[in-house]
Amino acid sequence: MRLREDDALDSRVERELAALDAAMAGDGVDPDLADLAELAAALAEMRETPSAKFAAELDSRAAAGFTRRREGADLWRRFRAAPLHRRLMPAGAAALAAIVVATAVVSSRGGQDDVGFDASGGAGGTTIEPAPQPAPVLDESSGSPGIRRDQASAAVGEVRLKGTVGNAGPFASGERRRFVERSAELTLGTEPEQVQRVADDVFGAVGRYGGIVLSSSIEDGPEGQAGAQFTLLIPSPRLDAALADLSQIAEVRSRQENAQDITAPVVSARERLREARAEVEGLLKQLAAADTDEERAAVKAQLRFQRRRVAGLRATKNGLERRANLSRVSLEVVTGDAVSFGADEGGAWTIGDAIDDAGRVLAVAAGVTLVGLAVLAPIALLAALALLGRRAWVRQGRERALEG
Amino acid sequence: MNTPPPRSADVSESLVAPAREAPRDADLAFDDLYRSCRDDLFAYASGLLCDAAAAEEVTATAFERAFRRRRSFDRRRGAPRAWLFGIARNAALDELRRRRRLAELPEESPDPSADLDEDADRRVKLGVVRSAFENLGPRDRELISLKFFAGLSNREIADVLDTSESNAGTRLHRTITKLRKACHETA
Repeated sequence: MRLREDDALDSRVERELAALDAAMAGDGVDPDLADLAELAAALAEMRETPSAKFAAELDSRAAAGFTRRREGADLWRRFRAAPLHRRLMPAGAAALAAIVVATAVVSSRGGQDDVGFDASGGAGGTTIEPAPQPAPVLDESSGSPGIRRDQASAAVGEVRLKGTVGNAGPFASGERRRFVERSAELTLGTEPEQVQRVADDVFGAVGRYGGIVLSSSIEDGPEGQAGAQFTLLIPSPRLDAALADLSQIAEVRSRQENAQDITAPVVSARERLREARAEVEGLLKQLAAADTDEERAAVKAQLRFQRRRVAGLRATKNGLERRANLSRVSLEVVTGDAVSFGADEGGAWTIGDAIDDAGRVLAVAAGVTLVGLAVLAPIALLAALALLGRRAWVRQGRERALEG
Repeated sequence: MNTPPPRSADVSESLVAPAREAPRDADLAFDDLYRSCRDDLFAYASGLLCDAAAAEEVTATAFERAFRRRRSFDRRRGAPRAWLFGIARNAALDELRRRRRLAELPEESPDPSADLDEDADRRVKLGVVRSAFENLGPRDRELISLKFFAGLSNREIADVLDTSESNAGTRLHRTITKLRKACHETA
């Protein structure tokens, strides 16, 4: 704690301090302060001077620029001389820091550590990953009687619980028949005047494979503007053949396939549907055995609720199965040069491409820098706090040393 | 148009070499500081630690640390002498902290009653003061050492202790009063 006594000194104190200064300078002092002068003289006489050997040694070191002594060796000697618990403190601190970092890393990854692998990314790649949960709302293509969003959410929670504790496990690993939802994205490139022909071929291919065109959009115009977009549903067993045919229609600019295992949600939805149906059966029996109007009304109310629940679950199950049976294909027909990083096969690398590439490089560099800062900032903050704490601790230790 | 005479490589080198080796202002100032403070610093450390060997170690450490930090010294934050003694103080307190004990007295205190002649009387008085001084706590010994052994002014002591000048004066007076009382009791 810093002491501040900024008030003027007491006149007596000031006089005695002045007498001390005068005595040290060899000047006379008032007779009543003679003993103070004697004390100052005695103290001055007690002043130690460095030995000639030490003075010479220090002078030579000063002339050499005070080269650093073997501080490392001194530290090691002190470390070895320290008690065992003090020597173990750095190791304990390091272990604690490692645990904290590991915990932070693991917790930051959260639920993203589910089993899965990315077979490839980019054109023609296929990504397969297990579905963590069933979709909370029905697929718009399901056509099933809708269930409300909150009901769907509740169903999701129950599916998760059942999936976790049931014999099927979170990924229904015991299920022999797997339900895999597949999807693909395909980009075809062609000339503007060929867009309509390509679109016709797409319709033809979809028809050959028994698929459905969910949506389509065809636009004429100059190069770069003309194009088409399709959303297709293709029977999953025929997806590979259909993609192969679609890829023959025009130049493939990019192609990506994804697969998601939804066996667990399907199995869970089936189980819950079975349970709900059993509930309905039970309620029907209760209704038949009910004696009074009040009992019958109560059972009927429960029955209405359970039937709505059955309908919702059936829609969920059907939607999931439909997602497994029909694969969604997003197909885009573009015109003009292929958009790719660097020069493409069909055209020269222009200044515009270079600017685009430079922009991407800068974006990546900025992203890397941002991630680096996100990692380093907490570490730097912890280091700064540790430094401040150590300084405060050392300062307190020094002051304590003066307490004697 | 006249072309300037070509530069001589030899001359250029001979100019550059001494300039590179010339000591900087900070080095020159530190050299002055070292020469003016060496004995004072040792006296302060010796008074505080009551141990000549430890005082030598602290003195050397203080100069070494100060030399390494000489270019970061900011004159606006205080006089060089106070800055150097601040570094020495930290080194001395580190030494005190490490030992966690007072150094053994370097020699036996003389018996104050053994007064024979004038010189002996002076030695006895000195012994009394020394004994009283060594019985003071480290905080008081530090103030005495800064004032009487290192010869710092009250302003400089305040800078070293990071306090105000009036507070430093008050604390010094309090310590002197304590020492006077201890001397009277011993005598």
